[in-house]
Amino acid sequence: MSAPWVLDEDDALELLAYLVTAARTQVDEAAEYGPMRLLTAAHRLAEAIGPRATEATADALAGPLADMPLLAVPRGDREQYVEQLDGVCRSVAAHLKAKYAP
Amino acid sequence: MTDEPVRREQIETILDAVRWAPTAGNRHLQRFVATTDPGTLRVLRMVSPGMIARPTAAIAVCVDHTLVAQYGFPPENHGPWIDVGTATATLLLAAQAVGLGAGPVSSFSKAAVGVVLDLPEGWVAELIVGLGHPAPEQPRAIKPARLTWRDLTHWVPTEG
Repeated sequence: MSAPWVLDEDDALELLAYLVTAARTQVDEAAEYGPMRLLTAAHRLAEAIGPRATEATADALAGPLADMPLLAVPRGDREQYVEQLDGVCRSVAAHLKAKYAP
Repeated sequence: MTDEPVRREQIETILDAVRWAPTAGNRHLQRFVATTDPGTLRVLRMVSPGMIARPTAAIAVCVDHTLVAQYGFPPENHGPWIDVGTATATLLLAAQAVGLGAGPVSSFSKAAVGVVLDLPEGWVAELIVGLGHPAPEQPRAIKPARLTWRDLTHWVPTEG
């Protein structure tokens, strides 16, 4: 049995448009915007799939990813930024491990 | 920003103020495209990675490059873009004056925005200002630099 859809066509198109246009704008913009754009895409994806996701996935999305400031860039306190981003990665990995490789 | 619509007369007041912004040689090489159409705004946001808010109106500040060429500006001349800045600063102040929040966005696909806004030949959107009624709760601010004017200014001759 396949998993239920968590992203409808409208949400998917919105994310696709964001990714494509961000690829273009990033050519001309500061390199530090790169991670910010990817995180914004992740925020938007989380927002879109949250309501239809399993409770465990919804909980994972509401964790460190949700706490990552939307406009944060790796400037100034780069170490803290990287540490926070590592925290998001660990949280996602922990959820994936629990879900697919318990 | 809230879902409350921006009234047409508010946008017209803002655009009338922007008309008075200084332009190089009083040439008025800028053109403006305004919309309150929800569908257009939705697509505009989709192709504008820098547009975080969900505005209920937007004004695109464009440069008419046909006019720029007619005046004989070389392509590398920055004058038309400086005028985009003066127009935008005036726009932001006018928005504040009519009680609206405003957010300028430069991170968007110019090619895509040209399609979304049906821009005439030669017009290029250089900046989009999203307009709306400020929400009571705002997103967390980026860590502010909080530079003072002294940090930004160099006196000549240097103060003792």
